[in-house]
Parts: sequence; structure tokens; C-alpha cells
Amino acid sequence: MNSTHPGASLLIGVAILAVLLWALWPKRGLLALLNRARMNTRRALLEDALKFLFDCEYKGVSCGLNSIAGNLNISADKAAHLLNRLRAMGLIRMEEQEFFLTDTGRPYALRIVRVHRIWERYLADETGMGPMEWHGEADLQEHNMSAEAADELAARMGNPVFDPHGDPIPSARGELPAHRGRALSTLREGDIAQILHIEDEPHTIYEQLTALGLYPGMQVYVMDITEGKVSFAANGEECVLTPLFASSVTVELLPERAPLPQKYELLSSLKLGEKAEVVGISPNCRGQQRRRLMDLGVVPGTIISAELRSASNDPVAYRIMGATIAIRKDQASLIFINKKEALPNEQTSGL
Amino acid sequence: MEKTQQTQREDILSLANNLRWDLGMDFHDTIIESIYEDASKIARKTARLESDKPAYSLDLKIDRWVTSRWLGFPIMFLLLALVFWITVSGANYPSGLLAKLLIDMGHPALKSLAAAAGLPWWLDGLLIDGAYLSMAWVIAVMLPPMAIFFPLFTLLEDLGYLPRVAFNMDNLFRKAGAHGKQALTLSMGFGCNAAGVIAARVIDSPRERLIAIITNNFSLCNGRWPTQILIATIFIGGAVPAHWAGLVSAGAVVGIAVLGILFSLVVSWGLSRTVLKGEASAFSLELPPYRPPRILQTLYTSLIDRTIFVLWRAVVFAVPAGMVIWLVANVHIGELSLAEHFIRITNPFTLIFGLNGVILLAYVIAIPANEIVIPTILMLTVLSAGMAGVGEGAGVMFELDSVADTENILRGGGWTLLTAINLMLFSLLHNPCSTTIYTIYKETNSAKWTLVATFLPIVLGLVVCFFTTQLWLLLVN
Repeated sequence: MNSTHPGASLLIGVAILAVLLWALWPKRGLLALLNRARMNTRRALLEDALKFLFDCEYKGVSCGLNSIAGNLNISADKAAHLLNRLRAMGLIRMEEQEFFLTDTGRPYALRIVRVHRIWERYLADETGMGPMEWHGEADLQEHNMSAEAADELAARMGNPVFDPHGDPIPSARGELPAHRGRALSTLREGDIAQILHIEDEPHTIYEQLTALGLYPGMQVYVMDITEGKVSFAANGEECVLTPLFASSVTVELLPERAPLPQKYELLSSLKLGEKAEVVGISPNCRGQQRRRLMDLGVVPGTIISAELRSASNDPVAYRIMGATIAIRKDQASLIFINKKEALPNEQTSGL
Repeated sequence: MEKTQQTQREDILSLANNLRWDLGMDFHDTIIESIYEDASKIARKTARLESDKPAYSLDLKIDRWVTSRWLGFPIMFLLLALVFWITVSGANYPSGLLAKLLIDMGHPALKSLAAAAGLPWWLDGLLIDGAYLSMAWVIAVMLPPMAIFFPLFTLLEDLGYLPRVAFNMDNLFRKAGAHGKQALTLSMGFGCNAAGVIAARVIDSPRERLIAIITNNFSLCNGRWPTQILIATIFIGGAVPAHWAGLVSAGAVVGIAVLGILFSLVVSWGLSRTVLKGEASAFSLELPPYRPPRILQTLYTSLIDRTIFVLWRAVVFAVPAGMVIWLVANVHIGELSLAEHFIRITNPFTLIFGLNGVILLAYVIAIPANEIVIPTILMLTVLSAGMAGVGEGAGVMFELDSVADTENILRGGGWTLLTAINLMLFSLLHNPCSTTIYTIYKETNSAKWTLVATFLPIVLGLVVCFFTTQLWLLLVN
């Protein structure tokens, strides 16, 4: 009943499917590539170069041709051409092989930085994208969003002043606080510090820092620092980084009297029938999920007890403020508890 | 004057903004946390709660049973199977009664009335054979099962048992990137996909809710079970020795339903990792205390909110579709009707997928309800194969009491075992009915997700049918 041989049509079918998959595959597919190529215009390159120059200026690092070429991932020839164009536009100037923003170039760069950081904040708080995807997505959006649209988005989120990596977001007028803090690698043994910022580039370093569970606002205690490694306690866990990786983390030294960062236990470690007091929610739990937990009463001081385990092992149901709420294991490991301070007070358990 | 005020205001605002940088990034959370903390301290000090201990400890005891490692799933399967069994066995009689009343008696009565009033043949055909018959069919086959299924389901919900099902199933759905409550919308979808889509409101996380809505169509709904059973009985049961026929054909239908659940999980997994990755997600699941169900209220809400609501939407779509069905069979271009033209043109193309033009046309024009697919297929088969003496005439849908007669028509239309298998697959994997599509649009308020939910199953269905057909041809012939 079919004129073509089934084997042949099978092959054709598989080929069509493969082509379709290739075209539609997220990130690496044809559509995604085309989309990226469309975004990656000459203007985008110019803006990225301005952004990088601003970053150097903000951190007080010098910025030469090669570092620009390296950051933008283009050849030195192309970078030289690009910088000439920027100079012709009056956005940058050159002094002794180093490049600086001019007074017309700086507001331009600040605007791009603002859109970028507002987008990162938006992605972190209002969407389900993971930390590894914020930066790349914001890199695409920063060239397409007008300053007005960015202001509107910021206003909707309550005008945030920091991006999720801890970088300050420039105000609409282009103001930015002075650079604060120092690299984690410059601390001494016994120092207690708070993480201000975690650099999201290069990708591989950021990936490892995220995997270690480091976040801005976290307190660290330096245990040992040598030429080859930095070891420190973060949230009671010992972390070891190479100095190169540790330099991606910006910290601020805390006064000596600051309470020693103690190890918190996690809600996921609570056994059935046990009780504990909530200490806080990890900053790694963001946006809707965080608000939901707080709405349910997961706030410092609440007494929480583990009651039931699902027939499939996860989630576990907890008794919170008189209601039984199921929480998945990966969320329960973002809630800090204190088992010792949970008093066996009958009056509180009914609350 | 005004100008200086304006600049002063801006200066103050920018000063305030600059000060916020010094406050640090967790300032917001710290304030909210301290407010909550103070509130709970005050409450602890001042409010005394009547102890709810006895009631709660009974709840806990029941919960230990229904969520236990060994009993949790068997209890769940037994209860759900019971609900389906009551629905299927209970709906048979009222459905037959309604069909007798609306189709066997109502249709001829209206016809003779129209003849007495001297209506022109085309108006009589369009209104009575088209619009009325399609509406009557939808009501007769849809109403009884829904009127039984929804109250039973709502009772379980009211009792507090359904959240426990979600609690037990969550692990599986979490792995697919979905919410445990999708187990509920999925089961609800076995009754009616439109109701399943509405039920997805219980999922409060935006991404998981969209996943539940888009994949609900993979639950084999009420309107598709009869198609599956009929085709499996004729072709699959007919292909094995007689004493195995019942078991094998029942197994084939259950297999299709299970395949639907599998597709639902796999597609959820794919969606949550690709197109829906960016949507926000927030999981929480409350296990409310058990309570005695309020039977009357449950009956009322499930009949009005679910059954009548869905039925009304189906009827609204069935009326125009009935007219279209009558028109394509009765409007002629040259020698042939529109339907025959369509079937001839699409036959070569549909054969690649192991289907035929009749099936394709039936699925296009019977979009308001899966219930009228088989009557439409029978009518179109008789029409296009030019069979004499069967059926009620061009554009008049019909069904036969005898399975053997149905088989004769279908085999006469060129159906084989392969066609039957593909029809069963395509019946599972095709676009949702128009009622469900409209409901998806109402619930998501997005044309984009409605289109995804509509076309994703068709593409999947065509792919699955294509490979089934070509592999079959390669291996069997």
C-alpha cells in the first residue's frame, strides 16, 4: 500500500527529525545560533568593550589592548579596530597603551551596566533560571533594552540596589558607590569577613564558587592561607580554594568582635518527630520561593517539627504554625535551623 | 520656584538611593524577618490556643497509613480504580437512555416535524442532521460519566485525601520537573481534559501549573475511552485467538492509557528543561486536616462548576461543528462532496502515517468533542466508499449497536490491524478538543501556550504513528 520502501521512509523520517531537533535545540540549535548572531551586532561589541573599560576603571585596574581582546573573545586586530572606532566616536581615550573612558563614554557604559545588573536581578528573583544562566542572558538583553524599559522593570521590583552577585546597580542618574572590599585571597589567617561580591566571569570559576554554596552576605572565617591554597569556614563547612579562585570573591573585613560564624543545621537533617527552631532562610532561596516560605511561617523563631515522610521518600511534611506543609528536600536544605534551642514548650508547639 | 523644588526632590531621592547601597543587600529580608519574628513572639506571649491535639493526632495516625512506604501506593491505586470503575459501570445505563431519547427518538421526531413544516432539505439537514445531532451526541455520551466522575473526585478532594496523593507522588513528578499536584490534574484529565486544565489552578507555582496544563491532554479522557475500546475489540481482539480476545484488547487499551502517563511525564521533563525553563517556580504543598465531606455541597459544586460548565462549553462548540460536518458531506464540487475531495487528496499523505483521509478529516471536523469521532468516521467511511444500505445518509453521523457491523464498515473502508493501532495512538496523541483548547486559553491567557498545547500532541502523534507504521511495514511485511 506504500510505494516507497519502508526502510527508505524510515531513514527520511529519522533525518527530518534530526534536522528539526538540530534547528530547535535550546542554546546550540540553529534557531538559537541565529538569534545570538542577530544580537551579536557591531553595536553589541562596542557596548561590551565600554562595559569592560568601565569595570577596569571601577576596580582601578589598568586596561590594555590584549585584556580587551581577551575579554571580548576577539582577535587583537579586531580589538584594535574596535578601539579606533570608539576613539573616533569620542567615547574613549588612550594614554601610554592604556585605555580610559571619556566623560561622554562613562554615562554610556553605566547605562549598559545598569541594564545588565537589573536583568540579572530580575532573572534571579522573578524567573526560574539558575545562577549559571543569569549572566549570559543579561549579556544578550543589555543591548536590546531601552533605559526607560529598564527603569520600569527596576521600579516593578522595588528599585533594587544590588545585583544577585553583590554588584551595586548604578542609579538611573548614573551614580555608583565607591568600590568596596578586597579579594578573599588577600586576607590573613583568623580574619572574619563578609562576602560582598562573587565575580561571575570566567564561567568555570563562578560555577565552582556557586557549587560550594558561597553567596553575597555570607560570613567566612579564614582558617589557613598559604601560597597554594586558601582554606576558610563558610557556614560551618570547610572550603578550600586556589588563590586564583579566591580572588574572584570580594570580601569586607568584619570587626574582631563579630560573632563567630557558627555552623547551622539544615531543616533537611531533621528526623521525623524532632523539633527545631528556624534560624533563617539561605539567600540562595530567592524570589517567589522565598516569599512562599515566609508566608507559610518559616521565619526566625518559628518552631518546626518533622511529621511525615512521603511514600516515595521525598518530600517530608513539617508542622509549621499549626499547619502541615510538605517541603521538598532541596528546599529544606536551604532552611537553617537550630535543634538545641527548640524548647519542648507545649505552648509554642501549638502555634 | 517649582524648578528648585523639582531638583530638591531629585536630590533627596538620589541621596536616599545612595544610602541604600550602604545598607547592604539583605536589608529587605532582615526587616521582613524581624517583623515576622516580633509578631510570632508577641503571639506566643499573648495568645493561648485551644489545643487541637486529639483531632490532629487522629489525622497523623491516618496519614501514617496513607503515606506509608508499603501501603501508600496500593491504597491510592485502589481508590482511583474504584472511582473509575464506578464511573464506567454507572454511566452505561444513563448514557444509553439519553442516546435513545435524544438520538433514536428525538432525531426522527424532529425530522418529521421539519417535514411537516415544509423546511427545505438543506435547512433541515443543516439544523437537524448537523447541529442538533452533534449536540445530542455530545450530551448523551459526555453527561453521565462526568456527572458521576466529578462528584466522586470532588468527594475525595473534600475529604482531604487528594493532597496526600500529591504528597506521595511528588518525588516522581519532581524528577520530571513538575509539581506533585499534577498527579491530581492528570487523574482529573482521565475524566475530562478541560476539567483537568481547570484543576491545575490548585498548582500555585507558575511554571509547574503551565506544565500541568500543557500535558493534561495526554490523560486519555472519557471521550476517548469508548473509541479505544471499540477499535481494540474489533482489530486487536480479532487478531488473537478468541479466548484471549477480551484480555488482549483490554490490555491494549490500558497500555495506551499508561503510554499517555509516560508521555505526560516525558513531555513535562522536556518542557521544564527547555521552553519553560525561565518560568518562576515555587513549591509548597499543604496537607489540610481531614474532615467529613459535605456531600450536598460537593454534589452541587461538582455538578454546576465542573459538569455543567464543561458540558456547556462542549455544546457551544458542537453546534457549529455539527453544521460543518453536515456541510462537508453535502456540498458538492463537481461529482464529489467536499469531504470526498479532502479524503482523496489527503489519502496518499496520511498513508505514510498509517492512517487514512477519513480519519484525518474526522479529527479535523470532530474537534469539539472526541465523543463524535467514531460516528463521524463511520459516516465518512460509508460516504467515501460509496456503501449502499448502511448509515443514515450523507452528513448524518451514526453508530451501530453491533460491533460486527461496525467492523464490516471499517474493513470495507480499507482498515487493517495497522490502521487500528495507529488510530489508537493518534486518538491518544492529537490536539485537545476545542473545549479544552478554549479552556487552556482562558486559564493561561496566552495564545502562545495555547498553541503549544494544541500542536505539540499532534506533532508527537504524527511522529509516533509514522515510526510505528514504517517499522511495522519493515518488520511484518
